[in-house]
Amino acid sequence: MGSLLQVLFDALSLGSLYALGALGIALIFGVMRLVNFAHGDVIAACVFALLWPSVDAVAIIFAGNLPWYLLVPFVLAIGAALSVACEALVFRRFRRANPATMMIASFALGFVIRYFLLMLFSSRPKSISLLPALSQPVEILGARIPLLQLITIAVTMAVLFGLTAFLRRTRFGLEMRAAAENFTMARMLGVRANRVIMGAFALSGALAAAIALILGSQTGTANIMMGASVMLMAFIATVIGGMGSLAGAVLAGFLLGAVATVMQVILPPDARAFRDAFVYGAVILVLIFRPQGLLSARGTRERV
Amino acid sequence: MMSPSVARRTIATPVLLGLLLIAFALVAVAVGSKPFNQTVIDIFLKVIFVVGLWVFVGNSGVISFGHIAFACLGGYVAAWTTIKPMMKGMSMPGLPDWLMQTEIPYWGSAMVAAGWAALWALIFGSVLMRLSGIAASIATFAMLAMVNSIYSNWESVTAATSSVVGIPIVRSIWPYLVAALISVFAAWAYGISRHGLALRAARDEPTAAAASGIDIPRARLIAFVISGAIMGMGGALYSHSIGIVTPDTFYLGLTFITLSMLVVGGMGSLSGAVLGVLILSTLIQTLRRLEAGVQVGEITLALPGGVQEIALGAVMILILMFRPAGIMGNKDLSLPQRAALETRGPTGPRT
Amino acid sequence: MSLLALSNVSVRYGRLVAVRGITFSLGEGEILFITGPNGAGKSSLLRAIAGVTPPSGGRIDFADHDITGRAPEDIARFGLAMVPEGRDVFGGLTVEENLMVGTGMHSATRGWKARAATELEAVYATFPVLKDRRHAQAGLLSGGQQQMLVIGRALMTNPRLVAIDEPSLGLAPNITDQVYERLIALLAMRKLTLLIVEQSSTRAMMVGGRMMLMRGGEILLDGDARALGQSEAMQAAYFGYGEP
Repeated sequence: MGSLLQVLFDALSLGSLYALGALGIALIFGVMRLVNFAHGDVIAACVFALLWPSVDAVAIIFAGNLPWYLLVPFVLAIGAALSVACEALVFRRFRRANPATMMIASFALGFVIRYFLLMLFSSRPKSISLLPALSQPVEILGARIPLLQLITIAVTMAVLFGLTAFLRRTRFGLEMRAAAENFTMARMLGVRANRVIMGAFALSGALAAAIALILGSQTGTANIMMGASVMLMAFIATVIGGMGSLAGAVLAGFLLGAVATVMQVILPPDARAFRDAFVYGAVILVLIFRPQGLLSARGTRERV
Repeated sequence: MMSPSVARRTIATPVLLGLLLIAFALVAVAVGSKPFNQTVIDIFLKVIFVVGLWVFVGNSGVISFGHIAFACLGGYVAAWTTIKPMMKGMSMPGLPDWLMQTEIPYWGSAMVAAGWAALWALIFGSVLMRLSGIAASIATFAMLAMVNSIYSNWESVTAATSSVVGIPIVRSIWPYLVAALISVFAAWAYGISRHGLALRAARDEPTAAAASGIDIPRARLIAFVISGAIMGMGGALYSHSIGIVTPDTFYLGLTFITLSMLVVGGMGSLSGAVLGVLILSTLIQTLRRLEAGVQVGEITLALPGGVQEIALGAVMILILMFRPAGIMGNKDLSLPQRAALETRGPTGPRT
Repeated sequence: MSLLALSNVSVRYGRLVAVRGITFSLGEGEILFITGPNGAGKSSLLRAIAGVTPPSGGRIDFADHDITGRAPEDIARFGLAMVPEGRDVFGGLTVEENLMVGTGMHSATRGWKARAATELEAVYATFPVLKDRRHAQAGLLSGGQQQMLVIGRALMTNPRLVAIDEPSLGLAPNITDQVYERLIALLAMRKLTLLIVEQSSTRAMMVGGRMMLMRGGEILLDGDARALGQSEAMQAAYFGYGEP
């Protein structure tokens, strides 16, 4: 019972990360058909926002020393601002470009952000202790669950409910959902394109920052590559969920987390190192049978 | 397979590109400095990679983030087949006996690597080519991550993330030149073959092509396998150029550089692929020189590390913004009196 | 004073010229039918007026503003409501949400919420079926209901000019009758100007008003719908015989 519960919490917390990542990608894809490869690097940039730029091996904590009630909004704001800056400086000029061109541009932008971090902080991972109180375990029904896992899951749930409420109940959410379905039509109804896209980028950046906070506390390190692996899984989740479908992205994120966790348990010890390879393989298989994703959104299908 | 008249009309392109590469080689010989030699070898390797990438991306219009995986497969073939058996036993004890005893020359390993990569391109491709557009691109990314994850963890045959050393180093520029020329001519021959023409037709007018009986997944698969073979060959030679191999040599960094070369040159034409390499390599070399530091009187001025990649990324974004079809704009080099050839399709790749 | 005035407007897609130097103006309260065969450039003209495809040449004035090259959302704010071809409902949104999307552009003015609520009741009164299905996903409505929804959605923006592209496309004749009935009733109720694109001139002749015939990106005829519809020149122009 205890170990089963442990697996469940592992799956949920890993799935939470993937779901938050997938949501950040799907939000932007929804409004401008951009597959944003720079998302992972925004995550990394948010972690480094806690440090003072230096190429020394020892991290100089800057904002990381703030109390949590200041720290969290600070990081979220950094993520949102960086993401909006990407939009204003780069992606705005690609509005009329085709999705492949935008995708490569975002890939290049991601590299620019990553090497900018490298220039400021060097490529060595740095140890940070972010919110150390969270790594203590708590006992639930005989399973020792790290407090951080519980918080991760709780935060993700809160974000999902909050975002759903935002999209369903507010004027801005309504405009965003309309724009995601048919951008031109929404504009003809007076929905301001720039405002909606900026909003999507800001939300997506804040989601990236949330991932950064979780990853930073979980691993205790800051690493310029840290967004990359979450991002790849998040991409895969958006594709499986049906590009542009927010609910699909979240569900697929949790599904991937579950698959990865279960594989970790059932694979023979020798094969565990290849867990991710198995997950990628499974994903490719899913795409063969459901190229539109498991939950495809209406009106976002691509032609040939 | 290909009509002789098309071949005659378009042969100027690979010949001109070949002459350009030979000119580079001759300059390297004339300069005779070792670092410059290595630089030219590096350029030839990039030509192989980018041309290999072009065979698929340029002709099909599907962006692939995964081709460097085939280079990785090839790079390890070089390690498996050319390192001395005794050294192999230490770093990669899990290799089967027959492979452990194998020791073939570098050109043999390059050929085996091409075949091995082609085989895996066939296997992956027969699954992936049924996808299209963005889903296909992301699936190729998953393929790259999958290969990287396997090679980074399969300790007994790849030494996991640690470097495999002892690959015989080939310092002469000629083998690399020959391989680059082979790639260019193979890519050209594929481009004007029935399959290449059909695939480009499918890229520009997917609906019409499907209606006229072109089997798009099959046409894409052929391109995928050929490009996989070229990448595999390039990967093996890459290993021979530096003597060591790690999985991360063939991962995101190389993917980024090769893709940016293709984008900057223009993915619509073979000349774009080759010129993209030459132009960006020059830029990279200049930046590398500046990162190392320039002596101005008493002071050494140096750019901080990372500027190189930032500049590459910026150039790539600017090209995409202002000239999305790349520097060559889908046109190929040809002799002036002849009409511009082949791909005159609308701009850029489609998804 | 005209509400909408086009002077020498052209639209091109790359090398293809869809609209060639069109000039006309539309007065407040008029009904204008633009008819013409497939590929005449009617939809391109509407898209240019709405700001979706900016014109490649010429000038468009609407409600005392030069709207040439302005963004669709700005043009919508000046009071132009576009109902594009193919009933572009937001399929994943509910009927009521669809209706509400366009009301946000007045959110800077005072009392917009109350006005939107009144407007909503008015639209529901015009199209009772929408009220019955107000919480249904718009994508699940029938073709006729969707057509009513997009017209209702356009009205919700409190427009001065409603431009409708092929309201009868893909609808059964009796449903089309219903849609037109409501449209005409609406005209009587509020101060509206209508611009309707239809392939055939039959509707225009039934409803009356002004009619223009487009072919090959140009306006060939312009006049009273009933008079024009019966003329031989109309037949000739539509099918293209008797051309120089």
